[in-house]
Amino acid sequence: MPDLDSGHIFLTTLAPIRDSGKGRLEHTSFTQNVRIALAKMPTAMQSPATQATGNNSPFARNKRNHLARMFVLNDVVYNGRIGQNALAAIVSKQDPTDPQPVDRLNTSYVVFCADIDAIAEDGAPLPIDLDEAEQKNVRMAYARELWNTMEDELREVYVNCVGFDGVETADDFATYLEKCHVKTTMPFHDYYLSLPKFNVLPLNRLLIAVAIPAAIAIIALLLRIFGVLDLPGLGWSTFWTFVCGVILSGLVAVWAVQYTLKNGEKPLGPGEYDDLPSVLKALYMQQKFSDFVVDHQGSSAKDLHAAFGKFLSEHKPKDREGPTQGPGLISSAVPASKS
Amino acid sequence: MTNSLNLNDIQGNIVRAYGRFSFPFARYFFLNISDPAEGRKFVDAVRHQVTTAARWPESAEKPECTVNIGFSFHGLRVLEIPPRTLQGMSDVFIVGMKERAFVLGDRDTTKVTTSDDNWNAHWDPIWRKNRATDASGPVNVHMWISLNAQLKRHGTTGEPVEALETRTQWLRDLCDQSNGGVTILSGIGKKGDQDFQSASAVFDTHGKEKLPTPKEHFGFADGISDPVFEGQYRPDDMKTAVIGRGKRVGDSWEPIATGEFILGHPDESQELPPTAMPYEFTQNGTYMAYRKLHENVGTFDDVLMQETNSYAKMMDVSAEEAKETLRAKMCGRWSDGVPLARVPTYPKWQEFRKDRGFDDPDPKTALRNLRVYLGSPEASDFRYADDMQGLKCPGGAHIRRMNTRDYLDPFNQTGTDPKTGNPFENTKATHALNKRRRILRRGLPYGASDPKGNSDETEQGVAMMLIGANLFRQFEFVQQQWIQYGLDFHQGNNTCPMLGNHDHHKRHTIPSDPKSGKPPYVMSKLKSFVECRGGDYFFIPSMTALRMIAMGIVDPT
Repeated sequence: MPDLDSGHIFLTTLAPIRDSGKGRLEHTSFTQNVRIALAKMPTAMQSPATQATGNNSPFARNKRNHLARMFVLNDVVYNGRIGQNALAAIVSKQDPTDPQPVDRLNTSYVVFCADIDAIAEDGAPLPIDLDEAEQKNVRMAYARELWNTMEDELREVYVNCVGFDGVETADDFATYLEKCHVKTTMPFHDYYLSLPKFNVLPLNRLLIAVAIPAAIAIIALLLRIFGVLDLPGLGWSTFWTFVCGVILSGLVAVWAVQYTLKNGEKPLGPGEYDDLPSVLKALYMQQKFSDFVVDHQGSSAKDLHAAFGKFLSEHKPKDREGPTQGPGLISSAVPASKS
Repeated sequence: MTNSLNLNDIQGNIVRAYGRFSFPFARYFFLNISDPAEGRKFVDAVRHQVTTAARWPESAEKPECTVNIGFSFHGLRVLEIPPRTLQGMSDVFIVGMKERAFVLGDRDTTKVTTSDDNWNAHWDPIWRKNRATDASGPVNVHMWISLNAQLKRHGTTGEPVEALETRTQWLRDLCDQSNGGVTILSGIGKKGDQDFQSASAVFDTHGKEKLPTPKEHFGFADGISDPVFEGQYRPDDMKTAVIGRGKRVGDSWEPIATGEFILGHPDESQELPPTAMPYEFTQNGTYMAYRKLHENVGTFDDVLMQETNSYAKMMDVSAEEAKETLRAKMCGRWSDGVPLARVPTYPKWQEFRKDRGFDDPDPKTALRNLRVYLGSPEASDFRYADDMQGLKCPGGAHIRRMNTRDYLDPFNQTGTDPKTGNPFENTKATHALNKRRRILRRGLPYGASDPKGNSDETEQGVAMMLIGANLFRQFEFVQQQWIQYGLDFHQGNNTCPMLGNHDHHKRHTIPSDPKSGKPPYVMSKLKSFVECRGGDYFFIPSMTALRMIAMGIVDPT
């Protein structure tokens, strides 16, 4: 499953947490320590209470993540016994009172998910497609950016994890996080202004490709059953035609499934203005432009023209870098954070 | 298929908006119970007089004055309903409306709790004191009793039948007989000097005659298009009642599932909503939010005048047309209730009024004509999916927010249909995402009918009762997401122009048809015109449950 879609990487990493207390006299487990570190980490400034603290989320210190989530995965959820048809259980001599095995994780994990711009350098355009090595490069660059902007917070969490010893530099952390990387697809955002070209599966054509050899095989079989040994006109053996038809339709079916999976893996192209700096700028412009419209309702064309010129020079719609809305803030009116 | 409801088991206020059944007067009482046994005795006496939903006249005689009763969570606790039953009830009902003020937008959501201690200083004293102590506190509201009365048949002085006063005295006598076990709480009104909330239709005076109108104090016709659910009407009446008030299925209108409004019946997601045990305690009952909504009529007129001036100038229309158009574009209906979706412009509206005789020189005839129209399917039968951009009725208008009709169908197309050059018709649009958010609206205006004496400071507004099987999913959702927020309507943070809190978000956008060559207009000076003055959540039990409460035999095992 690809992590890349719409010019973004949907990153998922799982870091195993050490499985014992910190030391002989410590009563706090490593898992508890992770939870404490996460509970202390500020959320984004998106409510009056969080704004009052003046502390923004450390993830707001970079301009690449659209969404970031860190949580502790204690174990897989147990869904109870696997149900079975009562008659089938009797026939197969399974005793419903015998306990079934229960799946457990070998340890708890720190799960870190982030939707990020698939770029290795701030300001780069969003890509349409990236190969494995390029995707790795993006992930490593993002990890380095995180380390450079929130090393303390990351240490407090990951110091409780297996294999984190010896991580001292941004490169070390990037290598560490790469080891924890899990391929998945879990997009949390999309900002398409107009829908992209979808990779539509030619389902009917695929079905026909499988159905034609299958139909020939069935016809040949039926003819054989009714005693026709050779195909009329062609003279082919109905038996071998049947065998070839079955093999061919099987091969086409395998190919069709592979084609379908590959089609599903093709990433969609990025939407216009889909990178985080553009999204923040758009939020900023939306608010400023609404104010502008209200302030100049009913103005004469001349006044409006002059005012709009001033508006453009003040707010610079084409400049993604500024003036703009800060990351992790709910509106452009909210003052920037302390940290 | 239409199921048959046991209407004799359901309280009448759930099924009927009494105001529309010629009951223009009401008194709402709030009572405290200090002695459980006396409380049960009181309930037993009241339940025999409770007005059920039984049909008039074939199954029950229409009373001159109705009686209905409900209980707050604290009330049920004091009446010794077992904990296992209580904890099965709705969690928002348990915590009560005051606790939900943030969600409802009743308090300033830009302030944290600790810096806003006195947030409900403007509430009536009875509601400020309510739920400030544990369940049995002497100032807690435990019971709600409503009396709805008809107009005196003879005479035109705008007075209720005597039965209203007789019933009031009956309640007072019952309290007196309870040895202090049940008391009627006072604390209603700004000064807290009333012991019931009086309510009545707004009356128009014509010479010596006073005629009840369908209007509230801002001057809009109200209470149109109340939802219709399965079993509510006789099958023959249902055919017309359901038009515009049920849900769209294919090309026809169907009643909404009973379970959306009454517990113990399947709802629109084809589930039986979870209810407290025993089953017969909750079946045929429902939940109700009582809200006293004060109307700042002075502020409303001031703001409207300011906006009228700039709108008239910008659109080059008369002040009268500007004012009426702005009012309609805020509400979604013209003042007389005619929907913008049907009659989108001022000249067409004037023509429509003339056609229908709303301007008849005889005020009685004019009012009758209006009432006939408002009661007809025509006043409710319209859609929004053919006006996705809000060119006729703005996307943020009050009635579009309260009942989104077919607007939220995810398959609706927005923009201009290249085939017609007009907005997409979206003829197949359904009531998806709407039919689980409907609310039965009950209640009446309160305050003096003569608008001349009314100001922000005087007491006028609407005593509102909102009924649904799930307060959280229906009432609270509509209040939070559709009244106090605008995302579902592409209105950003803008709140409902009429009911919304405008302390921080003061705008309402009125799109213009591009063909008109006029720019859109943004109202930008809105203030909070309607403010909650208190209320709480109540459980409206079935007649069976009332008997069980009175007998003290609610047994969840």
